[in-house]
Amino acid sequence: MNHKLLSPCVRTPLVCFLLALPLSGVAEMSPLADEVLSGVSGQGGIYLSGDIRINEVGGPIENSYFGRCDDATKKCGARFAYRLKETGGWLVLDDIRGSFAFEGLTLGLTTIDSGFAGDGDLFNGDALELGLPNTVRFSDVRFKIAASNAPRPTDPGFQQTDIFAVEMQGNVIMEGNLLVFPAGNP
Amino acid sequence: MMGRTAFRGVQKIMQPVSLVLVIAFGFHSAVLAELQSMNDGELSQVDGAGIGFVLDNFTFSHGTDEPDENGEQARIFRITGIKSTSGEAVDITVNHLYIAGDGSNYGENLIPVNLGRLINPWRIDVVDGNDIGVQDKAVLELAAPSKVAAAAGFDCLGGSAVAGSGTCSSRPANGGWRGERADMGLQMNVAVGADRSSNLNLHARSAVIDGSHIRLWGDDERRQMAGQFRFNLYSPEVSINACSRDGTSCGSRIKMSDFALELVIGNSLQPIFFDVDGSGNFILEVDAIAAPAAGQIAADGQRGGSDAATWDFYDDYYSNPDFRSNLHIGNFSVGDRDFGPARMEGMLIQHLKIQTKDLAK
Repeated sequence: MNHKLLSPCVRTPLVCFLLALPLSGVAEMSPLADEVLSGVSGQGGIYLSGDIRINEVGGPIENSYFGRCDDATKKCGARFAYRLKETGGWLVLDDIRGSFAFEGLTLGLTTIDSGFAGDGDLFNGDALELGLPNTVRFSDVRFKIAASNAPRPTDPGFQQTDIFAVEMQGNVIMEGNLLVFPAGNP
Repeated sequence: MMGRTAFRGVQKIMQPVSLVLVIAFGFHSAVLAELQSMNDGELSQVDGAGIGFVLDNFTFSHGTDEPDENGEQARIFRITGIKSTSGEAVDITVNHLYIAGDGSNYGENLIPVNLGRLINPWRIDVVDGNDIGVQDKAVLELAAPSKVAAAAGFDCLGGSAVAGSGTCSSRPANGGWRGERADMGLQMNVAVGADRSSNLNLHARSAVIDGSHIRLWGDDERRQMAGQFRFNLYSPEVSINACSRDGTSCGSRIKMSDFALELVIGNSLQPIFFDVDGSGNFILEVDAIAAPAAGQIAADGQRGGSDAATWDFYDDYYSNPDFRSNLHIGNFSVGDRDFGPARMEGMLIQHLKIQTKDLAK
């Protein structure tokens, strides 16, 4: 008898499970009054360490425009093309690759109501604070600024003029905090 | 029988769930139904709160050096891909690029600085074009701290300016505060083929770029990206010198004291247009302003006898100080020789077309 009792959920167990989840969630939740909420103080923020690699040894999609860096017949690195005129050509950020590593990027919310040689008092508000990681390690970071008549090298009649290329390697000192907040007249 | 009852029970539970789902889906579709595209005129009225940025206690330094004694990887910052007219590769190696506080002694001693003020930050914003002379457009603006009224601002050049002495918002460093004016500099050398030049050093002390901005929008007629660019640079001392590559001997320092550059490319009547042509070359163009039709301006050029609206239009175009570029140098000196002040004032770009050409082809 029992299997019949459960039969709707046996037929579609996943649906039942999913439906049960929000229901139990709703039952547990109760709204917090403003005063209660104003007393809530979370953790100080987020501490991030990162190692970001962009197409360091070529992309996994092996065709002529997003291919392997060790094959000279194939284009290497990511490509970002932006068209400036309806019938015009494309401004291209090409061959984007390399890796960045950093430790200790922090993200938090801060209230500023003093300091900044008097500006803090006038500002008197909250800002998102991004603590820069002191040093960022660049490994073989490259990109190229170019102009092209077609978005992709595989397009017919493709022509591209590379304007210049940038290569960066080693530790870059980047210290301080970036404060982000709404500005202007809403 | 019991099973059927239980099934009905589940159905009963499911009913409110379905109701919730129906409400949720209904709500969703209601939201979708509300979304409509906005035309240029409507969008141009959008003037939201922009995003403000301040860099607090900030230092930036990057450059190229030899691997250190621990074998740590050398730092490299190189610009390549440029060819000389004879086809040789040009390699620009940036040995040092820094942004730091005033008093860095040409980048030797990096101390922190603030960039932007909390009450006048760097901004990214969509502004109403009607407020800035770009009719019926929403304009994307990236702006440095704006200039302020002379009563509230600081002298843009004076290192020890006091409030009410000028129109710059960024404050110079003083005893208790690191200020919002940065020492910026660049050391680089250029190699053409196998020939590498000496190091070229560029430094700007206590520099302010208040009032600079880039504005971008789309032009309906040309169906093209259009923009305005304004770059202000004020510094009590901008200097250039050349040193041997090992840095042991340097040539005379070219110093430009009380340097004020106000460069304007593109204005509300003549925006800059960006394009790439069919052969993949970049084009930057400031279009010439349309000439008046025959008879609209009197032969003597006076307002009387001319079409008043046309005359006023050209009068505004030629007299508007916002359209003009200026360069002031308080004193120009090379080594210990002074050449006195230099001024270039009121430059108006009437037509400009820059097109890159690939010499390799």
